[in-house]
Amino acid sequence: MLSKKVIFTFSPQNVERPVTYQLIKDYNLWVNILQAKFEPSLGGKLVLELKGEDKQIKEGLNFVRQIGVGIELLEQEVLWDEKKCIDCGACISICPTGVLSLDKETFKLKFDYEKCIVCGNCVEACPLQAIKVIF
Amino acid sequence: MTIQRTYEEINTKIRSGKAVIVTAEEIIPIVEKKGIEKATEEIDVVTTGTFGPMCSSGAIINFGHSDPPIRMQKVWLNDVEAYAGLAAVDVYLGATQPSESQGMEYGGAHVIEDLISGKKIKLRAISQGTDCYPRREIESYITKESINQAVLFNPRNGYQNYNVAVSTSDRKIYTYMGILLPNIGNANYCTSGQLSPLLNDPQFRTIGIGTRIFLGGTQGYIAWEGTQFYPQTLKDEEGRVIYKGGTLAVIGDLKEMSTDYIRAAIFKGYGVTLVVGIGIPIPILNSEIMKSVSVKDEDIWTEIIDYSFPHLKKPSLGRVNYKQLREGKITVQGKDVFTSPLSSYAKAREIAQKLKEEILKGEFLLQEPIQKFPQESKFKPLLEIH
Repeated sequence: MLSKKVIFTFSPQNVERPVTYQLIKDYNLWVNILQAKFEPSLGGKLVLELKGEDKQIKEGLNFVRQIGVGIELLEQEVLWDEKKCIDCGACISICPTGVLSLDKETFKLKFDYEKCIVCGNCVEACPLQAIKVIF
Repeated sequence: MTIQRTYEEINTKIRSGKAVIVTAEEIIPIVEKKGIEKATEEIDVVTTGTFGPMCSSGAIINFGHSDPPIRMQKVWLNDVEAYAGLAAVDVYLGATQPSESQGMEYGGAHVIEDLISGKKIKLRAISQGTDCYPRREIESYITKESINQAVLFNPRNGYQNYNVAVSTSDRKIYTYMGILLPNIGNANYCTSGQLSPLLNDPQFRTIGIGTRIFLGGTQGYIAWEGTQFYPQTLKDEEGRVIYKGGTLAVIGDLKEMSTDYIRAAIFKGYGVTLVVGIGIPIPILNSEIMKSVSVKDEDIWTEIIDYSFPHLKKPSLGRVNYKQLREGKITVQGKDVFTSPLSSYAKAREIAQKLKEEILKGEFLLQEPIQKFPQESKFKPLLEIH
């Protein structure tokens, strides 16, 4: 069982395709909607967590790509500038899913991207503007 | 035999490369293993460190005179106003002053950081003009090389202890203690605990006016007690000592500082502040001082305060120690919440290590305070008198 977080970008041409329905029904994927932002005339963005067999995730994402929906893996969307970061930890306590923590030995910040739901709380909490989320 | 050392004896050992120095963290297992007396015998200096947001900070700058000269009455540096009511070309640039064009996105702290990193800063000044200073306006660029003095002078830094901030409000609030989530959704605290300078010498036996310190990457000094200095301690009903508000006014040459140890920061919805790195060496003059520096996070307590309460005296929701806080989760009114330090423990540790290395190399000597801080002080509120 694999778990992947993805951002789908819809255009006005494919915004009405029932993508989540098809991922569940045709590819047997477990789908959790983390964020959604749609405007029928402009398109939209959907942040999903997908769980399933490696082959099914690949085939499901391939189907999404075929109908013209843009796919980005979420890890690339949370940008943490480690050079700017001073390991103050201001981002830790406002994170709803416990993505951020300080290493018990070094007390340097750790990012557990697997747990991230791209809520953006850490972005506004970071006093050094070291975290960016592209959504 | 009870050990007694003088500053001169310690400095002689430092000069000859024989001094034994450890950080305030490293001393803890040493004292646990060997005891206070033996540790006092073996160790000469213990170094401390802190790296956190310290709003009461700023810089005194002298630009030099232009030709024709101007008596600057209003001054802006990168659109951030600096106080110019000092002679002709002296200003005090406050860290929290916001930019007039960018608001909270840029402020005095950023100008300080940019100056340290060698960037060009835009200077604009206006004046009424006088017979001796005929010029009425000037626009130019300065760098740290072009100006006469740039001295960091922070009236209140290095808070001994600080509250843990939570909020019982039903909305998210934006404070100088960071973002506080509704209904006690998180807890933010801000000291380096067992590494913090004033928690390692809580009676101010060795820290006073004239003490040489590590400030922003260079050697600075303690200029005075910090504003709102409050050296008295409280004892709670269980007999635990709660340190309140020892503070420091510090001074040092901004031109020699490094952005590794001074950084501008923005607390969203609150404003701009300066993150300052301070390290203070504590000479082990006797076993009493060794006892103080061996303090552990679990022995340092602080209060959990409700920051949603809009008045000066805010309600306390209990007490917690720094070991609990540093483990990442505490319980407030039955609710488990994540904690955030705000003050960087990793950097505090780095500063204490760096200070240790500088002393070991003989580059940093200990300075006995010229005058001690007062033993007592009043913390007065501002009364509204009509």
